[in-house]
Amino acid sequence: MRNTLFVVVFVFAAGQICHVGLPWWGVVVPIGAVAGWLFPLQPWRSWLAGFLGGFLLWAAYALILDISNDGILSARIGKLFMGLPRWGVLALTGLLGGLLAGFGSLTGNLARAAFQKK
Amino acid sequence: MRFVRFFLALSLTVGLVWLLQAPLRFGSVSLPVLGDFFNPFTGFWQNAEPTTGFSAQNLQLPGLKGRVEVVYDDLLVPHIFAENTEDALRVQGFVTARHRLWQMDIATRKASGRLSEVLGERTLEMDRLARRRGMVFAAENALRGWGKSPEDMRLLDAYCAGVNAYVAQLKPADYPLEFKLLGYKPEPWSPLRTALLVEAMAETLCSGENDLPATNALYFFGRDTFDYLYPAWNPKQRPIVPDTGQWAGVRPVVKPEMAKYGGIETDRPSPGRSVQGEPLDYILGSNNWAVDGSKTASGHPILCNDPHLTLTLPSIWFQLQIHTPEMNCYGVSLQGMPGIIIGFNENTAWGVTNVGHDVSDWYRIQWTDAARTRYRLDGEERKADIRIEEIKVKGKETLLDTVRYTVWGPVTHDFDPEHPLRDCALRWATHDQPSPDELKALLLLDSGKSYSDYRTALRGYECPAQNFVFATRTGEIAITVQGRLPVRAREQGRFVLDGSKQASAWGGFIPMDQVPALRNPARGFVFSANQHSTPPTYPYYYLSFEFDASRGRRIYDRLSALKDATRDSMKTIQLDNFSQRAADALPVMLRLLDRSRLDAEGQKMAEELAVWNFRYDANSTAAPLYTIWFDSCYLRTWDEMTALRDKGTSVMAPERWRFIELLETDTASIFFDCLDTPRRESAADVVNETFAKMQRYFRENPNERVPWGKFRPFAVRHIAQIDAFSRLDLEMGGHGSAPNAISRSNGPSWRMIVELGEEMEAIGVYPGGQSGNPGSSYYDNMVDAWAAGKYYDLLFLKKPDAAPAERVLARQQFLPK
Repeated sequence: MRNTLFVVVFVFAAGQICHVGLPWWGVVVPIGAVAGWLFPLQPWRSWLAGFLGGFLLWAAYALILDISNDGILSARIGKLFMGLPRWGVLALTGLLGGLLAGFGSLTGNLARAAFQKK
Repeated sequence: MRFVRFFLALSLTVGLVWLLQAPLRFGSVSLPVLGDFFNPFTGFWQNAEPTTGFSAQNLQLPGLKGRVEVVYDDLLVPHIFAENTEDALRVQGFVTARHRLWQMDIATRKASGRLSEVLGERTLEMDRLARRRGMVFAAENALRGWGKSPEDMRLLDAYCAGVNAYVAQLKPADYPLEFKLLGYKPEPWSPLRTALLVEAMAETLCSGENDLPATNALYFFGRDTFDYLYPAWNPKQRPIVPDTGQWAGVRPVVKPEMAKYGGIETDRPSPGRSVQGEPLDYILGSNNWAVDGSKTASGHPILCNDPHLTLTLPSIWFQLQIHTPEMNCYGVSLQGMPGIIIGFNENTAWGVTNVGHDVSDWYRIQWTDAARTRYRLDGEERKADIRIEEIKVKGKETLLDTVRYTVWGPVTHDFDPEHPLRDCALRWATHDQPSPDELKALLLLDSGKSYSDYRTALRGYECPAQNFVFATRTGEIAITVQGRLPVRAREQGRFVLDGSKQASAWGGFIPMDQVPALRNPARGFVFSANQHSTPPTYPYYYLSFEFDASRGRRIYDRLSALKDATRDSMKTIQLDNFSQRAADALPVMLRLLDRSRLDAEGQKMAEELAVWNFRYDANSTAAPLYTIWFDSCYLRTWDEMTALRDKGTSVMAPERWRFIELLETDTASIFFDCLDTPRRESAADVVNETFAKMQRYFRENPNERVPWGKFRPFAVRHIAQIDAFSRLDLEMGGHGSAPNAISRSNGPSWRMIVELGEEMEAIGVYPGGQSGNPGSSYYDNMVDAWAAGKYYDLLFLKKPDAAPAERVLARQQFLPK
């Protein structure tokens, strides 16, 4: 349980920094992978923890931006994406961040299992 | 097994990343990288601007000579206080780019035929036409002209450097939303791009002509019928500048050989498909006027302007104030152009409407070789200049397009073998090298103090020609039809011209002291509404795609009757939905209508029309009835032209005022006869038949039987036609034939009223907002006020700290580096 929490917190915390000059996947996927490597878990748990961390990372930041914007932009982007409501745009943002970190974490987790001598 | 599981997970991760950067399409918008777009650290979320306050940090700007202070007011209008003009324009460039960078980029891409580079194949034909009309050629010539005045070029360079200083400090996360959405990057600005924007305005405002349809009409109908159908002068017209004897003794220099080729064109219509659609009632419809103290309650002049254009988001205009020791000026600017176009300063005010003279003609070329590289001119052979246009297309091969340039200009349509103008060259005043004074014309106007400053400033203004209305705090009013207007022999350029003779050329341009102008008339007002510049007694021949008389007559009547005017009473003229054209047509149509033959429903409709006040108010239920009836009556009458068009020959329908005149005075005209019936119809038959048609239309479409504001669709659309960034929810009154000339997507792009008293008191509004960012609360914050006919008090400051605290949003300082 502790390692699960570590992965979530690590992805969420480390994801706040170092975004400059990297491609969009260049932060959240590697950080997920590092977390998955550092904190051994059952693979599905590692994926879930990474997903949660990534979801929180993207959705929480988006939520902060959205609140200070009174939802003006999320309403317009929602219209652009087949009429998604405001929370749908936020959820989609979180889902994408979650999937990227989740699969990053799973890859890190299984890499450790594959490459680290027991 | 462990390795298999690892590689499986790795492949899934890579696959996911790959999937999220696959191009997706949503309607007309393609999203290049979904993951990037949604990443809150770099994607669209970064464009979600806080709704409280406005962040404007103090900055060092390379090239500044002194300190510049910018006060942003509560409408996000920047008030720029600088120690000299160059600094002011540098900061204008910076703040304009700060709010409108993508709009600046896409407008110049459109003008220069570079849309496909970022949007792909679907804009290729548009790009090709822009290149082949010589838009870049024109912009390059503009730079040559402007370059002759290095002092003014330095000002333009400072403006461009200001834009580029903004672009240079942008990180991808800061890119305007549309760059992220369409997946490309901002480019540096340049004087050429500014020139391209001037050409884009010219394309909108002075590229209209009817040469081919007129040539065809003359051929098919013969001279007498042609003159009967298409008289140039509407006798009910109220021209901008009346004849007060000021032209006595002015004789244009028209060489005799010019007259010979200028008059009757015997060119046969060329085979090919019709290039003209249904006649549209699309007139843009700008108004401006100034009244002197004799007409106002305060005894001070009032100046008004509402230029009409296709309304867009981000908005066409950007408001700002520029304060330097030389000038203090407030108004609207076009993004990408230094200075203020429409506005006022501490002493004067001015505004524009489009002149609309035809300054674009087609010359038929006689090629002497099959490859069309040589052509005949006065019996000699000339070689065409070849310009290769390289059109990059996203995801496709670059298109190399050969454009032939003759002495007249580019041969625009020769890539299309079906096009009737394929062997014609385009002679367009916009292509000419402008006067070196053009660049500073608007800046001189911005800083002008008197009538003579105004006329001096305008002498450099050439294209697109505008009716410049003007007033001073000392009580003067004036209007000038200003621009580069060709000297023509009578009817020269009304039809396709013979390109094999030099004598077909224009005889130069009307001297700047002989353009129509009016100063302090006894009637107490000057005005324009895209109508004829002068009565036919003006010594120079000119023509137009279509002058509009309806709005001008209404405004003339309103201004003539005006007493004790205030800014509020001026609003009622700008917002006037009264259609003079409907007031002319409907009584005649009702007279011809045989009401005894109508059923109960028809009786009711006729009664509703009979009591209509000719106002296209949003809640008018009679306006849709009249509009459907009039339009079908008009189209039914001109079925001869539709038949010709269907057979592939472009012929224009007569102007609407002429149609109404014929309904009234020549009901037996052969043109009221319908081609598809054996009997001979009269005007009354057409009127009755189309009334029944109108009635049927509303019976079959009961949900269309709604007030005008619901009946007529209206939208302020995003430039890239993205619905999510457009305002589609507005129900508007107004019509192209009324002063409040709102149509489907056109309308007053800026309403301004300035009272020139002790202090300048000005109000204004446009349908948009200062920010071009759909993620800003200032993107469309003025739309609802505009739609409701409301105005904002414009904050005109003498000092940075003179602004009332509640109207200041932010202050920003720019310091030399």
